[in-house]
Amino acid sequence: MTVSTTAGVVAGSPLGLAAEPSPRDLSRDLGEPAWLTDDRMAALALAHELPVESNPLFTSYVDLRPVRFGELAAYQRAGEAATVSAAVPEGASALLEVRDDVVVARGLSPQAAGAGVIVDTFERVLRRDPALLRRLLEGGATLPADDRFAQATRAGFSLGVLVHVPDGVALEGPIVIRWAQGAPGRAHLTRTVVSLGRDAHAALLEEQVASAGDRDGAPQSLWAGTTEVVLEPGSTLDVAGQEDFGLNTVSLVTRHATVSESASLRWALAVVGGGFVKSRIDNVLEGRGGSVHQAEIAFAGGDQRFDLTSYTRHRGQDTTGDLLSKGVFQGSSRGFFKGLIDIERSAKGTDSFLGEFSMLLAKKARSVAIPSLEIDQPDVRRASHSSSVGPVDEGQIFYLMSRGIPRDVARKFIVLGFLEPVVARIPLPAAQDRLRDLLDRKWIPGPA
Amino acid sequence: MTVLREQVSNDRSKFDFKDDIVYLAETRRGLSRETVEEISRYKHEPEWMLQFRLRAYDHFVKRPMPDWGGDLSRIDFDRIVYYRKPSEREEKSWDDVPEQIKATFEKLGIPEAERKFLAGVGAQYDSEVVYHSVREELSKLGVVFMGTDQALQEYPEIFRRYFGTVVPPEDNKFAALNSAVWSGGSFVYVPKGVEVPLPLQAYFRINGENTGQFERTLIVVDEGAKVHYIEGCTAPIYATDSLHAAVVEVIALPGSKVRYTTIQNWSNDVYNLVTKRAHAHEHATVEWIDANTGSQLTMKYPSIYLRGRGATADIISVAVAGKGQHQDTGAKAIHLAPDTRSRIVSKSVSKDGGRATYRGNVRVAPGATNAVTSVRCDALMLDDQSRSDTYPYIDIQEDDTTMTHEATVGKISQDQVFYLMSRGLTENEAQNLIVQGFLEVFTKELPMEYAIEFNRLVRLEMDGALG
Repeated sequence: MTVSTTAGVVAGSPLGLAAEPSPRDLSRDLGEPAWLTDDRMAALALAHELPVESNPLFTSYVDLRPVRFGELAAYQRAGEAATVSAAVPEGASALLEVRDDVVVARGLSPQAAGAGVIVDTFERVLRRDPALLRRLLEGGATLPADDRFAQATRAGFSLGVLVHVPDGVALEGPIVIRWAQGAPGRAHLTRTVVSLGRDAHAALLEEQVASAGDRDGAPQSLWAGTTEVVLEPGSTLDVAGQEDFGLNTVSLVTRHATVSESASLRWALAVVGGGFVKSRIDNVLEGRGGSVHQAEIAFAGGDQRFDLTSYTRHRGQDTTGDLLSKGVFQGSSRGFFKGLIDIERSAKGTDSFLGEFSMLLAKKARSVAIPSLEIDQPDVRRASHSSSVGPVDEGQIFYLMSRGIPRDVARKFIVLGFLEPVVARIPLPAAQDRLRDLLDRKWIPGPA
Repeated sequence: MTVLREQVSNDRSKFDFKDDIVYLAETRRGLSRETVEEISRYKHEPEWMLQFRLRAYDHFVKRPMPDWGGDLSRIDFDRIVYYRKPSEREEKSWDDVPEQIKATFEKLGIPEAERKFLAGVGAQYDSEVVYHSVREELSKLGVVFMGTDQALQEYPEIFRRYFGTVVPPEDNKFAALNSAVWSGGSFVYVPKGVEVPLPLQAYFRINGENTGQFERTLIVVDEGAKVHYIEGCTAPIYATDSLHAAVVEVIALPGSKVRYTTIQNWSNDVYNLVTKRAHAHEHATVEWIDANTGSQLTMKYPSIYLRGRGATADIISVAVAGKGQHQDTGAKAIHLAPDTRSRIVSKSVSKDGGRATYRGNVRVAPGATNAVTSVRCDALMLDDQSRSDTYPYIDIQEDDTTMTHEATVGKISQDQVFYLMSRGLTENEAQNLIVQGFLEVFTKELPMEYAIEFNRLVRLEMDGALG
């Protein structure tokens, strides 16, 4: 890594892409205020200092070789399509859709608009309410300071999205944010900041899908994106994520949540697509009585590589962390599940559980689990983890076959049932059905 | 439960003694190529061993210090004496052992232990085996149990065939160090089909300020044979840091069964950095029963490589971390063959600001079909100044593997303490009993004398920690 320092300014591209605008130029082109430029430069300095994996526990289980950073060119500046649709899907509170580097849809339901909800790009929010954005972003507290990819994204993002739900607002339907990515040779760095005021309640559905560009044999496409959640006291947020990029797309995902007093966060995340997915989730339970429930599934086939890390940091008293990861691996796919529960001395009365369960369905598939605990406070209600890897249960197959279901169908039922707990937590019924359909199609029939 | 209720003295000074021995031969402080050559020459070793030592030395110099685990920054390799010899020759009978050394063993209880049911005693006093008695019974069975140095001279063929094959010098920095300067340790060979009826035991201790102990143990158990090896140690307390870097290699040939039990109580200034590894061949069983109390830092992960079809690995690891101590311990089971099984059970107690870390690795390599593995880690924290970490690595590359893993961390239940106190125990006794109960999965695997000794050690560690 080359770091050149001139008069306190660090130059160079944070991700090492073939073409990447300097964060300073990018910020100027986007007409950003000085504090945001400075924030990008601070992140750039961090990104240059950080190794690919800063946690020594996990350094032997990081493999970025499949990612061809040197063949990718970042988007200079994301823009707006000629016509931006304002339609909102039925049952949803808002929609923001980005196709490659263009915003193609942006709309709010009448309830959301009336309550002062914001679902918009940073560029437009900066014109309307720069103080709100500055309060959330400045200083970088919404991203992990020890993650190179998070800091690179904070330095070099070309499109930012803010979701803000004011104090006391309870939204009826989910806010939908859809990213389509896949243009060969292009990289998109984006940030999404989600802020819920006191006692606000909302659901967010994040969809990551393939755009028309992703096709076999084409150069890779890269999507580096964040979801930065800030929950004020008493608020609750459900986030459902469906990742179904094409196989030529690499994604580097950072999710980070700060949960204050009595706030509650639920993640339901499905990782299905993408040739290479590196994801990191940080749940920081700051306030007393805060809770996070996280359910994550990974369903891989072919040569897919999923590298999924989650951190749960208990700082407040009586906080709850309940994390469940499930993986199914077919073909010669690989999954790394890395987890760490960290209970700090201040976190008395913690209840924390981390479960990592996998099924290997093919000879060449591989699953690695590292469910770790670091505990400084013994006064816990529960601090435990559990993990298993196994084939499809023969007893269950036998039962289904005795009811006249062919063996392969029986195996498929059992595998899809293993993943169902996450599917059931997707907020929109239509989105739930779409995920079921996706998983169904992902199944590779075969012997065994 | 008479073992648990036995009243013992909490006086630690009985484990804290040192004698003024006149050392007959020792190397200068610090490590160089010349030191390595000097050691080998002094021991009249064959050329291949000298080359092995030098190869290890070269690797040691090149290899960086590990950047994980505990704090190793205070180890000063230049201040260590790498070889010293307490007496000229190996003693065959107890009567020939120098009085002063005998008196030290008296405090360790070796004669009593022998009177009871010891099969053989290999006692390491500093860097060389000084006392060795092998029961006639064992000799008749063809069992070889002697100091490693002696075995190199007397059983050169079998020695060369297996030495360094389980833990090569390039394995890690401290294995390289040991390979370069090793001295002492035990050599065991059990011939085909022989079941050793009693445990083989080796007592050893560190003596001499800044003396490094680099013992090397090699255990070869031939087809269908069975042996239980026990090592236990206490060490005097010194103000400056001591380094103990041992290597233990176990080869369990087809159908054999080996159990290796360690009860350890290094003094609180010792760095205990040990590489212990076993190869389990077809249908062999290897068991590591491993307890760690004492030392300032222990980094030790007994490993079993399951190399033959149907091999079994069983590891029980127990650690107690008190004030100023870091027990970074764990286990590894590497499945390399079909139909292999492994079980790891880890129990740790941390208190008074101590840190107990479980670091383990279970790997099922391609080709190791139908493997079954389970890992269970439980940690008890006695106060909120202490720390407990659990770092399990589970890497599965076969689709018909069955792997389960569970871990819990918690404190002593106040309900249990209250119940025991209502039955007339003091709070301290109640907590003691609960901790001993928590560790019983380990204790129950020990011969009774060792169970008593271990409970005493736990009690010593617990003293002052509670109420």
